[in-house]
Amino acid sequence: MKETTEQIFLRQINENKAIIYKISKMYMDRSEDQEDLFQEIVMQLWKAYSGFRGDSKFTTWMYRVSLNTALIFLKKGKRQVAATFLDENIDLIDVSDSAEKENKIAYLYKAVQELNAIEKALIFLFLENQSHKEIAHNLGITEGNARVKLNRTKEKLQLIIKKYGYEF
Amino acid sequence: MAMNFDELKNDWNKLDAGQSDISTEMLSIKAAQTPVDKIRSKMKHEFKYQLLGLLVLAFTPRIFGLNPEIKPVFVAFYSVGCGFTAYYFARFYIFYKSSYDMSLDTRKNLLWFYYEMKINIELYKSLTYILGFISLSFFSTYMFVTKGSSLLSITKYSMVSIIVFCFFGILIMGLITELWVKVCYGKQVAKIKEVLDKLDDE
Repeated sequence: MKETTEQIFLRQINENKAIIYKISKMYMDRSEDQEDLFQEIVMQLWKAYSGFRGDSKFTTWMYRVSLNTALIFLKKGKRQVAATFLDENIDLIDVSDSAEKENKIAYLYKAVQELNAIEKALIFLFLENQSHKEIAHNLGITEGNARVKLNRTKEKLQLIIKKYGYEF
Repeated sequence: MAMNFDELKNDWNKLDAGQSDISTEMLSIKAAQTPVDKIRSKMKHEFKYQLLGLLVLAFTPRIFGLNPEIKPVFVAFYSVGCGFTAYYFARFYIFYKSSYDMSLDTRKNLLWFYYEMKINIELYKSLTYILGFISLSFFSTYMFVTKGSSLLSITKYSMVSIIVFCFFGILIMGLITELWVKVCYGKQVAKIKEVLDKLDDE
């Protein structure tokens, strides 16, 4: 049976859902806000999907839409008490969990909360193994600027992580 | 404990997003909430009230029992106000219906959102000023027609009072408009501007 557009889309984003998960955790510190951002990114991906022509890789397109959504996302002023279905369906790990605190990634998530929105994007793309050229292309800046910004951000992140007692 | 970027990268790339899949329900759970969507939604609500206000205003001569002499003047001012409102509503409708492309590079995307919001907020402000000036002009004309027998009688009133009234009228209107826009729409624009500045920062 032939897959519908919706089914193809869901299959593709489910294969790459770690991208959305990681961006949500990097950009929002509270689990409720992470869920909201996760949901917003999925929504924006779905809205933009009709414009995806396959000229670039699906993941490249997904990085852009997800990061652009995170960069302009505004937290909700007052939170609603009622839980959404996301609570049951999406496993967003809680950094405050004592077991997770031993995890380096948990410290990384905590440290990036002290970075600004652009610095978070730079570190995210760097951790996703993107080259300076690819980072520059995604952010719309020159390669030289991307290199300088990334180096500064890495230094800043090292200092933050050192504050937590890690050697870097 | 030690940490370095190579190790971090390795750990990072081993991360997964849990077992649960993104489902169909998630694609239709709510309306999109980008800053532009929020501004559009707020403006839509405000325009509903503005339309209601214009409708109520149409009955002003009857409600306040205006002098028959002033009625044609009221109709003229009211029509001009409606004309401007219709023009701006058409502009806002285009803004409301226009789509955006989130797959542009970050810089282009941020610039699009920033200027789209700035332009529409400025349009919103200019409509408020235009309607304010029309109201102020009508009120001034009303005062002259009802309080004085002819335009020559203006000299009977203190010119200073007229200037002070108009000056402060415009000033208060401007302050209220700027404050309203800042409270209702300023947060979204400021956030985008801040990110753009960070991106431009060498």
